[in-house]
Amino acid sequence: MSLASTASAKDQPSMLARLFARQELALLVCLVLVLAFFSATVENFFSVRNMTNVLGQASLALTAGIGCAIVFISGEVDISIGSLLATIALPLIIIMNDTNSLLLGVSGALLFGLIIGVVNGYLVAYAGINSLIVTLGTMFIMRGGVYLYTGQRAIPDDASLDSFIALSDGRLFNIIPYSAVIAIVLLAAFGYMMQHRPFGRQIYAVGGNQEVARLAGYDVRRVKFICFIISALLATVAGIILAARVGSAQHTAGLNFEFQVVAATVLGGVSLAGGIGSLTGMALGVLILQFLSNGLRGLGLPTEWQLVITGMIIIAAVAFDEAKRRRANGG
Amino acid sequence: MSVDFLHPGEGAPIDTNVSALEMRGIGKRFPGVVALDNVDFTLEPGKIHALMGENGAGKSTLIKIMAGVYGKDAGTVRMRGREVDIKSPRDSLKEGIKVVFQEIALISEFTVAENIFLEGYPTGRTGSIDWKKIRAESAALFNRIGFNVDPAARTGSLPVSQQQMVEIARALAHEARVVVMDEPTSSLTPNEISLLFTVIRRLASLGIAVVYVSHKLDEVFEIADTVTVLRDGRHISTKPIGEHTNDTLIQDMIGRRIDNLFPRQRGAAGSKVALSVEKLSTAKKLIDVSFEARAGEVLGFFGLMGAGRTELAKAIVGYDPIISGTITVDGQRLAPHDTRTGVKLGIGLLTEDRKSEGLMGELPVYQNASLASLGAFARLGFVDKAKEHQAVQDYVDRFRIKTPSLFQQIKNLSGGNQQKVLISRWLMRGLKVIVVDEPTRGIDVGAKSEIFALIDRLAGEGLAVVMMTSEMPELLGLADRIAVMCEGRLTAVMSREEATQEKILNAAIG
Ligand SMILES: Nc1ncnc2c1ncn2[C@@H]1O[C@H](COP(=O)(O)OP(=O)(O)OP(=O)(O)O)[C@@H](O)[C@H]1O
Ligand SMILES: [Mg+2]
Repeated sequence: MSLASTASAKDQPSMLARLFARQELALLVCLVLVLAFFSATVENFFSVRNMTNVLGQASLALTAGIGCAIVFISGEVDISIGSLLATIALPLIIIMNDTNSLLLGVSGALLFGLIIGVVNGYLVAYAGINSLIVTLGTMFIMRGGVYLYTGQRAIPDDASLDSFIALSDGRLFNIIPYSAVIAIVLLAAFGYMMQHRPFGRQIYAVGGNQEVARLAGYDVRRVKFICFIISALLATVAGIILAARVGSAQHTAGLNFEFQVVAATVLGGVSLAGGIGSLTGMALGVLILQFLSNGLRGLGLPTEWQLVITGMIIIAAVAFDEAKRRRANGG
Repeated sequence: MSVDFLHPGEGAPIDTNVSALEMRGIGKRFPGVVALDNVDFTLEPGKIHALMGENGAGKSTLIKIMAGVYGKDAGTVRMRGREVDIKSPRDSLKEGIKVVFQEIALISEFTVAENIFLEGYPTGRTGSIDWKKIRAESAALFNRIGFNVDPAARTGSLPVSQQQMVEIARALAHEARVVVMDEPTSSLTPNEISLLFTVIRRLASLGIAVVYVSHKLDEVFEIADTVTVLRDGRHISTKPIGEHTNDTLIQDMIGRRIDNLFPRQRGAAGSKVALSVEKLSTAKKLIDVSFEARAGEVLGFFGLMGAGRTELAKAIVGYDPIISGTITVDGQRLAPHDTRTGVKLGIGLLTEDRKSEGLMGELPVYQNASLASLGAFARLGFVDKAKEHQAVQDYVDRFRIKTPSLFQQIKNLSGGNQQKVLISRWLMRGLKVIVVDEPTRGIDVGAKSEIFALIDRLAGEGLAVVMMTSEMPELLGLADRIAVMCEGRLTAVMSREEATQEKILNAAIG
């Protein structure tokens, strides 16, 4: 009895301390600053319409970012997600055009994503090949395959199913885009998994110290394998939303998308070294970059400058993080 | 048929008539090394079985086979009479074998509490983790053992000694039949060791079979029921502890006798001051520490855990920042305060935490040894490999470092041999002042006597040796002068002649 009460008395400060230490609070402050700055300088920036629009735009990166962050936390990387976005649009659109069924199209896309996840995961976890190399490889292969298959022409969505179109412009209660709802639900579910399910903690442990995880009885390879499958499936979901948005399967879809996601994830405090970071951090990273780009556009700054600024912010954020970590570890 | 330390009485009682674990004819070879050759090892429930042997004798390898970390090349393993095939750590954990590994195996980003339940999180009905239970049970566990560790702390931020306690607690958090401790006390204080012994006796009384690996003979005589000695991968003897004396045990371990652990060859220390520390304070711990170390002397620092010896060691070589005070090495001020300047002036540190601060696990033995002295082997900016290898080979021979070759990755060496390589690193460098923090941690008696002889020789050659130790015999046997610390302050400095165990302990308490 007394033990339980002392333990829960400790919960409050440690939670707060963890929030500070994990940098989510710092990210939140950054996001608020970005919002405040552009609200003051850009007309209509802080309108419900603009906010929800940006949220809708961010939903792709939020969804795929979950997978990216999970793979990072397991100590690996997955940069094949951009190409995957373009690739899964093919089975999706083709099946829908043939069958007029969203369910079949989505199932086909998910099955394809699953296969890619299995391939990536197998090569990294069981064949022991470096994940950067593996996913760089599948990234090129998929992109090349899409170019070859489409002959660099878009395959339009002829079925025009209402349910599919709703994915791009439908809004819950006429306010929040469905794509954002999907992203938020997925974030909540996977965020819960990462913090409160044994499997989520296993991912952290494997990324934190593979050898220790093995000694604790974990199947390290299986954990990594599954992380790649999760990543591919979430990128597939993002790809489906993107296809709905552009109304076709396009060979250039998702070009450089992986780097946007990686940038946001790293900005969100998820370490490439594994074992560190959270999905909340990743999500804040995505939102910061998305609102920043929206606001800068509102100020009339050309895209080139947005790229430069984004790059500088990422380096500064990671440098800050590193300095803090070094101090925490006492030199 | 297994028992939970925290909730005894919940499991069925252990049958004490059949061996808990029986290993027969175990063989294991690594490239270039026969680590185990036809070794038998049997554990009885409720008995404490010490496993002893020199560095590299094969103790940890035997344990890792038990734990499923390594596969065996030959032999059989039975648990309670039934043959088992342990292929992975998971299989071993399922059989109730809990191991406290020699090298700390914790996730540093996790809290202490989470690390304790790493191998099996308690979950609620929905399969979600019961964090409340994890915190409460780990607090209860530490309470029960008597260790003072904060379950909510981030594990990586704790000192090695506390991490070792977490390791120990972790082995007790789940049901167990066999608990193995591979040098669990290497960074614990006498007080904590006695707490640990209470725990071990309690485990035994619950019917758990305990394996205890240590290089400290007095510990083994105190705790063990049975002793098995390995030498060069072979089984030498298994006897009840009552049949052993210090001498027979050492004889079994190293195959020869050691007459004098502290041979003193060097003459009296000179009067030249090699290291002078004045009013040194650090943000973390040290308050106004001043002392001098002379060329040719061994200055021993004693203190209880948390007294600040490691902090002092790190500060005076330039590794940790200081907030005030001056450090002078051989007449020259250590400024700027960093290790680069330190090494240039001729002061080096042999750290207590070799895994995270000293070793480069993936690199071969010779590179680990020559790391600090590449300049000495350089010609026109290139390292003269032949010269480098020769120099390292000299040390390998001198310290009898057990390694198949200079090119073996150092992580594959036994713990004690890793330590010897690190000592070589600094000796090779040609220093004026060497600071050694717990130099014999995890080192067997044979090698200990070699290292003592070596420290003696270094001082004889005119180095000032500053030695941080918590081993009283080592302190009294080796040091010319003894400095005692308590909570970051220097509380006494005395000469070897005027020092007694009692005086030292009094000063250490403050
Ligand atoms: N993974 C490995 N690869 C190659 N050689 C190894 C490996 N692990 C251990 N060895 C070698 O096997 C022998 C036995 O090592 P082990 O670690 O079992 O010794 P130990 O008795 O535990 O010594 P210590 O007291 O120093 O911890 C040593 O010669 C060591 O170098
Ligand atoms: Mg060992």
